[in-house]
Amino acid sequence: MNTTEQLYKVIAKALDISTEIITDQLEYQSIVEWDSMSHLILVEALETTYNIEIETEDILEMSTVAKLKDVLKKKNIEMI
Amino acid sequence: MRLYDLIQQNKNLRFIDTVSGKSSMVTEFHKSIAIENSQGLGFVYSDNQIDSIEVFLNFLESNFTISLLNAQLNIQFKQSLEDIYRPYYIYDTSRTEIEGYKKCSVSESITLFKRKTKQENPINKDIKLLLSTSGTTGNPKFVKLSDNNLVKNAMSILDYLPITSHDIVPLNIPITYVYGLSIFTTNCIKSNTIVCTNKDVLQKDFWEDFKIYKFSTLSGVPYVYEMLNRIGFFKKEHEFLRYMTQAGGKLSEKLISIMIAYSKTHNIPFFTQYGQTEAAGRMAFLHPNDLLTREYSIGKPIKGGEFELKEGTNELIYYGENVFGGYAKGLDDLVTFNKSNKLFTGDIAKKDADGYYYIVGRIKRIMKLFGTRINLDEVELILKNNLDGNTFICTCIEDKYLSINYLNKELTDNSIKKVLREKLNLHSSSLVIKYIENIPLTTNGKVDYKAITKNED
Repeated sequence: MNTTEQLYKVIAKALDISTEIITDQLEYQSIVEWDSMSHLILVEALETTYNIEIETEDILEMSTVAKLKDVLKKKNIEMI
Repeated sequence: MRLYDLIQQNKNLRFIDTVSGKSSMVTEFHKSIAIENSQGLGFVYSDNQIDSIEVFLNFLESNFTISLLNAQLNIQFKQSLEDIYRPYYIYDTSRTEIEGYKKCSVSESITLFKRKTKQENPINKDIKLLLSTSGTTGNPKFVKLSDNNLVKNAMSILDYLPITSHDIVPLNIPITYVYGLSIFTTNCIKSNTIVCTNKDVLQKDFWEDFKIYKFSTLSGVPYVYEMLNRIGFFKKEHEFLRYMTQAGGKLSEKLISIMIAYSKTHNIPFFTQYGQTEAAGRMAFLHPNDLLTREYSIGKPIKGGEFELKEGTNELIYYGENVFGGYAKGLDDLVTFNKSNKLFTGDIAKKDADGYYYIVGRIKRIMKLFGTRINLDEVELILKNNLDGNTFICTCIEDKYLSINYLNKELTDNSIKKVLREKLNLHSSSLVIKYIENIPLTTNGKVDYKAITKNED
């Protein structure tokens, strides 16, 4: 079962941040921790955790946590 | 001719702001903000957006010496640099007030901070620009560059890059970084449009701009090429792209072969370049025709430059008019500009029978992590100062990982990670942290970094 809690843990680890500051609105490049480097680490982490492949368009699309969830949803990974 | 005059001579040059879509001709930026007609120091915290560019151009025109700094620099570092150098003007959009400064509206959209009390700190008139040797550590060590340094380097680069008066060029590398600055100066002198942006290649907006404005070229440090590869850039045809450049360290073998193939299939010349802040930009480039046969070479010196290998050590020495006038660590150092044509690069090199140069090692304790130069001694000091004076030994593992060894058992990996994240914005995935019982020393009592590195292999 995929939970938001688990997703936030993945994000927190990849971006080196605390889960407490993660919200749907959190945006790429809005905090120093979410830069191009950690974005690619995040993509890799999501690929491994959910056993999926994330294509170019989706990497560019994932500019907020909400949009990231949409991308996962498209791949049939829904959060509860 | 001054750099500023060369830029103004390119009358068709325009700057586009990607956020508003607004464009300005270079002539519109001539004396467009009110700066006092005097000498002094101006700090410009640039974010590569059009206002930063306008401020920079105005200061270039003025008699002020400019320090170009990264707008994202940690606030404590900003303050400590300002305490040391006491600039007369500060451009920083991230702050609403600065102690000891008053806000001045110098144009409709631009505000500068002006020092309340003008101090007479003599600055050598040859120093036009101060660039930080490291973009992130807040080390007050600046490289002193003259207008002539910048002009000479720009002209040498224009000699080999296929820049035309129709080109549309994005500023996708910060101009506070010498590579980004050389992209800025050369294209201001010769191309048609500069697209001011702080978007990166992982943002959709960047690729929308890429299409809308029809970028003629893209530049990148190795890490940018890694990202381009990850997002499948090299699998596609890009109609308007004419050539690409790279600098800031070696590309991985895998990426070099990808670039060779891409360059050949799509007829996109790919220029790899070698340079340093101390040389105001570039020192050597590899001609795209040589990419296939000498892909690991830094090529040959740029026009007007020469290399020599120091006897005994094989340290690469560069000669040219773009060589800087010394370092500054404080105000006192701004009094002098030591004109010299000779630069000890700190890199160890070899030369093949046909005159091509190859970098084989490094003398200085400097590593490149994601294209950013990191001085390992400085990292040791930052850790010491932030973690109760404890001792740290830092080394680099193949320009990929920063290795941190500590002696105090009670320290935690997390506390080290936290400092490096806050102060240097280093991601923990690029750190290798380990406790060691004692420091290996050489026979003359210095830290034996070689022994430490050996243990890591």
